[in-house]
Amino acid sequence: MTQAGTLGWLAWLETTAAATAMRQSLWLYPIVEILHIIGFVVLVGSAAMFDLRLLGRSRQLPVTGMERHLLPWARASVLLIVPTGGLMFVAHATEFAGNPAFRLKLILLVAAALNAAAFHLRPFRQVAEWDHGARAPLAARFAAGVSLMLWTGVIACGRLLAYF
Amino acid sequence: MRRFAGVGLLLLAVGVSPVAAHHGWSSYDSTKELTLTGTIKEAGYEHPHGHVRLEVPGKVWSVVLAPPTRMEHRGLPASKLRVGARATVVGYPHRSTEDEMRAERITIDGATVELR
Repeated sequence: MTQAGTLGWLAWLETTAAATAMRQSLWLYPIVEILHIIGFVVLVGSAAMFDLRLLGRSRQLPVTGMERHLLPWARASVLLIVPTGGLMFVAHATEFAGNPAFRLKLILLVAAALNAAAFHLRPFRQVAEWDHGARAPLAARFAAGVSLMLWTGVIACGRLLAYF
Repeated sequence: MRRFAGVGLLLLAVGVSPVAAHHGWSSYDSTKELTLTGTIKEAGYEHPHGHVRLEVPGKVWSVVLAPPTRMEHRGLPASKLRVGARATVVGYPHRSTEDEMRAERITIDGATVELR
């Protein structure tokens, strides 16, 4: 897409009813922010607790049990996070799109998602061998460390985008 | 990882000129306090921060105010932030955007509202 085309599309997003309501309705914006925060607290909290287990904390808890408990909440939280994030984005689409902290946040988000997918496709397949009482393999511990760093980066960028 | 790199490039390619989000007070130079009196040419009672275009002799300033919820709470409803009204703002200039300032307080119709 050309630069003018992208800019036109972003500017159009800002004229939509949702964007106008976000900017002008007194309480919609803060409510959406609160829901976004509740969503990512659940998502990043779930990811962090699972990552810490993979890194060796609470080895008496089965990894599969933790995964069964945490993953559905993490998935459900995305249903709260993405629409609320989208609403905040459209309210100031051109500003966000040009914001370096926002761009980095999206890159880190994609990286975190790919990292989680890679974990599920590789080391997690053999989880039966290290489900409890054992040390997780290096690939799993590596994915956990990367996950903690990426999610920390996502949250930092999300907060800092208001300062750029 | 190729997909990751592709997305990164795509994001960087969205090369729109950023209108700085300018939310933090640190973006403004608090050592240079300004007091401006002028006419409101344009008013936005919008999230995350309200703003006015304030015409003073020889210049039009873009003045960043406070979140609408705070202004409403402190007695500055949207109806008072009207185009054509005279306003005095006290605040600080943006460190890099030449015609932008963030207001510490605003006075309209004789009533002063603290914005921080």
